[in-house]
Amino acid sequence: MAEVEETLKRIQSQKGVQGIIIVNAEGIPIKTTLDNSSTVQYAGLIHQSVMKARSTVRDIDPQNDLTFLRIRSKKNEIMIAPDKDYFLIVIQNPSD
Amino acid sequence: MRVCVQILRQFCFNSATKRIVEIPDLQWEKSQLNRNVACRFFFIWFPDLTELKLPVSDPNPSLCVCVLLTLQWDTDPSVLQLQSDSELGRKMQRLGATKITQVDFLPREVVLYCKETQTPITGTEEEDDEEIIDLEPALESDQQEEVDNKETREGYPGRELTEEEKQQILKSEEFLSFFDCSIRVMERALAEQSDIFFDYSGRDLEDKDGELQGGSSLSLSRLFYDEHWSKHRVITCLDWSPQYPELLVASYNNNEDAPHEPDGVALVWNMKFKKNTPEYVFHCQSPVVAVGFARFHPNLVVGGTYSGQIVLWDNRSHRRTPVQRTPLSAAAHTHPVYCVNVVGTQNANNLITVSTDGRMCSWTQPISTPWDFMELVYNKSKPVAVTGMAFPTGDVNNYVVGSEEGTVYTASRHGSKAGICEMFEGHQGPVTGLSCHNAVGPVDFSHLFVTSSFDWTVKLWSTKHNKPLYSFEDNADYIYDVMWSPVHPALFAAVDGMGRLDLWNLNSDTEVPTASVTVEGASALNRVRWASGGKEVAVGDSEGRLWIYDAGELAVPHSEDWARFARTLMEIKANRGDAEEEGLVELTP
Repeated sequence: MAEVEETLKRIQSQKGVQGIIIVNAEGIPIKTTLDNSSTVQYAGLIHQSVMKARSTVRDIDPQNDLTFLRIRSKKNEIMIAPDKDYFLIVIQNPSD
Repeated sequence: MRVCVQILRQFCFNSATKRIVEIPDLQWEKSQLNRNVACRFFFIWFPDLTELKLPVSDPNPSLCVCVLLTLQWDTDPSVLQLQSDSELGRKMQRLGATKITQVDFLPREVVLYCKETQTPITGTEEEDDEEIIDLEPALESDQQEEVDNKETREGYPGRELTEEEKQQILKSEEFLSFFDCSIRVMERALAEQSDIFFDYSGRDLEDKDGELQGGSSLSLSRLFYDEHWSKHRVITCLDWSPQYPELLVASYNNNEDAPHEPDGVALVWNMKFKKNTPEYVFHCQSPVVAVGFARFHPNLVVGGTYSGQIVLWDNRSHRRTPVQRTPLSAAAHTHPVYCVNVVGTQNANNLITVSTDGRMCSWTQPISTPWDFMELVYNKSKPVAVTGMAFPTGDVNNYVVGSEEGTVYTASRHGSKAGICEMFEGHQGPVTGLSCHNAVGPVDFSHLFVTSSFDWTVKLWSTKHNKPLYSFEDNADYIYDVMWSPVHPALFAAVDGMGRLDLWNLNSDTEVPTASVTVEGASALNRVRWASGGKEVAVGDSEGRLWIYDAGELAVPHSEDWARFARTLMEIKANRGDAEEEGLVELTP
């Protein structure tokens, strides 16, 4: 448990990383390094995006599945590692 | 536990009129209150009672009864005791702050953002209907909720998790394994910082960082160092993975500044991605002095420790501690095990370990007791204090060992001459490293080996002569390790205590190294290992830092190198023959 904390702290301190959120399969945040309102906003919206992306991949080929999602925007980049039960979301600013 | 309840005010809720009314002096039946108070607590907390104007109405209690109580917990296990204050209802009581919990609420209104994804159901089975789950608010009404989580938020799943639930999830096994895998992937993704939007027309062309010169010199490629696990520890051994050429394992000694941390640490580093943290962290209770990837078991890492135990780590399990370890018994090793080696073939392989008391053990999987062991003694008298062991390429029976006295011995595992065969004298200090010729080519040089020692020299030997063929004396400090290049027949690397890494190319020059570099900080370098492709060389130093150097053009063999080396060897032998005739015999210890 303490290792989880330590690892999150270490990643948070890497340059450019703005925040880390861990969400469960229903979109409820479990652990976060951002403030509450941002977390809830990100969690809800990203959860829907991931679900849509996953269903897109699956519809094209039912045996395929989503493994990683990267949303690159003008200001930052959101990287999501989805799993069966949890998502790991990291928001970073890559030009830093 | 006994609960003392003091009734302050008595109210009741008249469901007909939908009003809360106060009941003065309502007499409670003890049994009734027992049941009610034990099952349910009703609390309505008014910050200031004077503000609430209660209409006087029907004094008969209705379906819901609300009381304002203070609870005094007694440690006596007994029945509930009631104390009724006769002055109640007459004057305002001062309310003390009480922690309150809310249960049994009416379902609250939750505004949901219900945009369903329209997926056509055309005969393909949807195994996961996760898309639809979050649209239904999960209402478990018997769940305890914190007071401050009560705010409804627009557009998001209505259920919140309590702190307890979160902690529980964070500790669960499946979460930890998910976290382990996805953090690794995420770190690699974070480390790849290439800017795909780079616009060459708008700015000056900058050199991409990380572009190696790749010239005819040694250049630093990577530095691996972990703040937590590498600090204040000496790197004791290195090994490259035979299966994945980008992985290497380094073992570390104990950290004297941190007595509570495990004494022995082995870290697996990955060259392929730019992330600077180890792939795997393993530790054990005793300092690890030798480590290696198990050649035919790609998931296992073998460690030899200072206490004589052999430990096995498995990267499939999420444990950082060894999955197998040998018992500390007289049948196994009781001295530090400085050499571990897997020899054999896919189907018939053994783990060979040698400790400093001269005992050599052979192990099979699972390691519990060695199936074979042998005491390495010379002339049946004194055991050999082994500091290094090497097998020539392709040989599983004969091997070479170096000892603390400075002598080198050849030995064999089986056969009529099992044990120590011959003695090679030449070094005047303990032998720190030895390496058998590895490069395979048109000419066979597998009888050659090099040794390094505390006497500031590296010596070249052949198993056919018991005196060294040549001595390389360019260093001014203890030489800690030496290794032949796996691809170039005339190239070897040596590291010494002043932080120098030397590459000697015997085809160019035998007097001075062809390339030499000193690491930053000039800390003593303890180990050197070539990667299996022969392009990179890893050095470990006494500060826990692992430096990867790129040897560039130097390390690439050309087809005539073999023939040239054969000629070089002949010259060396000829010179040595002359030296002996002139009486310049090396002093034997």
